[in-house]
Amino acid sequence: MSSLLLAAPEKVKEAPRLSRGRRWALGFLGAWLLSGLFLVAPEQQAVVTTWGAVTSPRVLPGLHYALPWPIQQVYKLKVRQLRRTVIGGDVADIPLGRLQPAASEFLSGDQNLLNVRVVAQYSVSEPRDYLFQAVDVDRVVSAAVESELARRLAHTAVDSIMTTEKVAIQNDVLLAAQKSLEDYRVGVALSSINIENVAPPPDAADAFRDVAGARADAIRFVNEAQGYANDLLPRAHGEAEQMEQAAHAYKEGKVNRAMGDAARFDAVAAEYAKAPEVTSTRVYVEAMEKILPQMRKLIVDSNSNLDLSIIGKEDSSGTPPK
Amino acid sequence: MTQQQKILAAAIAGGLLLVYLTFYTTRETEFALITQFGRPVRTVVNAGLHVKWPYQSILRFDRRLRVYNPRPSEFLTRDKKNLVIENYVVWRIDKPELFVQSVGDTDSAEMRLHDIIWSGLSAALGTLDLESLVSASADKVQAAAMLDMLTTHTDLTALAQYGISVVDVRIKRLNLPEQNKQSVFARMRAERGRIAMQYRAEGEEQALVIRATADREKEAILSAAYKDAETIRGEGDAQATRIYGEAYSKNPHFYKLVRTLESYKKVLDDKTTIILNSDSALLKVLTQGEAGVK
Repeated sequence: MSSLLLAAPEKVKEAPRLSRGRRWALGFLGAWLLSGLFLVAPEQQAVVTTWGAVTSPRVLPGLHYALPWPIQQVYKLKVRQLRRTVIGGDVADIPLGRLQPAASEFLSGDQNLLNVRVVAQYSVSEPRDYLFQAVDVDRVVSAAVESELARRLAHTAVDSIMTTEKVAIQNDVLLAAQKSLEDYRVGVALSSINIENVAPPPDAADAFRDVAGARADAIRFVNEAQGYANDLLPRAHGEAEQMEQAAHAYKEGKVNRAMGDAARFDAVAAEYAKAPEVTSTRVYVEAMEKILPQMRKLIVDSNSNLDLSIIGKEDSSGTPPK
Repeated sequence: MTQQQKILAAAIAGGLLLVYLTFYTTRETEFALITQFGRPVRTVVNAGLHVKWPYQSILRFDRRLRVYNPRPSEFLTRDKKNLVIENYVVWRIDKPELFVQSVGDTDSAEMRLHDIIWSGLSAALGTLDLESLVSASADKVQAAAMLDMLTTHTDLTALAQYGISVVDVRIKRLNLPEQNKQSVFARMRAERGRIAMQYRAEGEEQALVIRATADREKEAILSAAYKDAETIRGEGDAQATRIYGEAYSKNPHFYKLVRTLESYKKVLDDKTTIILNSDSALLKVLTQGEAGVK
């Protein structure tokens, strides 16, 4: 580089010495000076160095001029562009036969192994630091994020990692890793840490699936019981209502019938009182007329002896009223 | 070309060579070590345009941060647990003169770093339980303090011996030795089995509670309804009894007659054989004629 740096002034000094090509030399000088113009696009920022040292650490979008090579040098950077780094093995490899199991294995606080894949996104916050501070910024970023991730996961139980604490982990890792990166002064700002995948190791995947199944089973048990209760109670209410209505019906029927009977008796009794003897005889005889035709009758003389054997021949029962 | 022109050309060429040998630039990313016949005389830290004697030469060193990942190695904790730890080290050259004399290039620098860190880490881990590194409760974890101490120690040693500044030593990955993994997987499976069983049992418990509560409620509803129903029936019976009593007590004699006759209608049927005395009230008239009426 240093040899190149000094090659150009040599050419510049050629201009006055060669009188034949003086115009050419002036033209060449002009072109050389014009080559210092540079455009910084809207999404870019630039850093300008003079003889290798940074003189303008942050040049904003627009048209600018820098002394031409080799005096000043312009480094343009797309600062807004999100750069992406992946930590943890490629999850897609796992079904294909665990190509790099160790690369994605993390240890959880309760000593479970988990395959985790995290994507970190970052942008350039300080172009000067980004350009000159580290040999491989991407590697620094991924190391910082991975270290914080490993630390955070080593404090967290496996169930929390897989369910409730995912977002908290992402935030914690983002803050802690950002702090490390600021300590290293590599000029980047992390914009997101995203846990893309957390999976149990294939050797224990069935057992993890079974837990999910068990959770669903438990919910199903409860729902079934709820269904049972929902079926049972309305029926019971209906049945209770039915019993009550039946009781009311019974009561009403009983009372009405009693009143009917009483009214009927009252009426008849009133008439009976007018002619008790005749009425009782009539009633008695009428009753006999109704009863006796159906029955077998044996009429015996009060003076003769009764041979009861005649009863045995008949298939009859019941005792005659006295 | 005249003699004069030749001399001028030689002077210019000589001047350019002198400029080339005297002036030099250093970039933001590097240190320049100025050596005089192989012997280091000074280090240039600031980037920019500098001057040296033409007979001095320059050695350039990248002063940017580097990340070094030593291979994962197995360590033993105080409670005799094996742990595979993967580190990363952030370092850079700080004293080029010492660096060039003691190590020379980055590969051998990283080998030296590996040695310092490996021994530092295995000594530090020997004083910590596994729980200090891996634990579900965050307050037990002391790894950060241990790593800070390790960083300081590594930095001091590396700076003094090799001119290397160690910015950070971190644990990048904690893992278990390959030979322990099968038992860990077995433990994980057993744990999951236990949790699954617990979920199911809890579900069943809740379900049983719900069913039992429903059954109890049903019984309460039905028995309350029974109570109400029987009370109502009783009222009905009582009212009816009262009505009958009031009506019949007006003429008990007649009631007795009518009711008895009515019961005959029910009690006596076509299977009944009745033996009637010819003296009976009904047949008296049959046997005795009009005298029977009396």
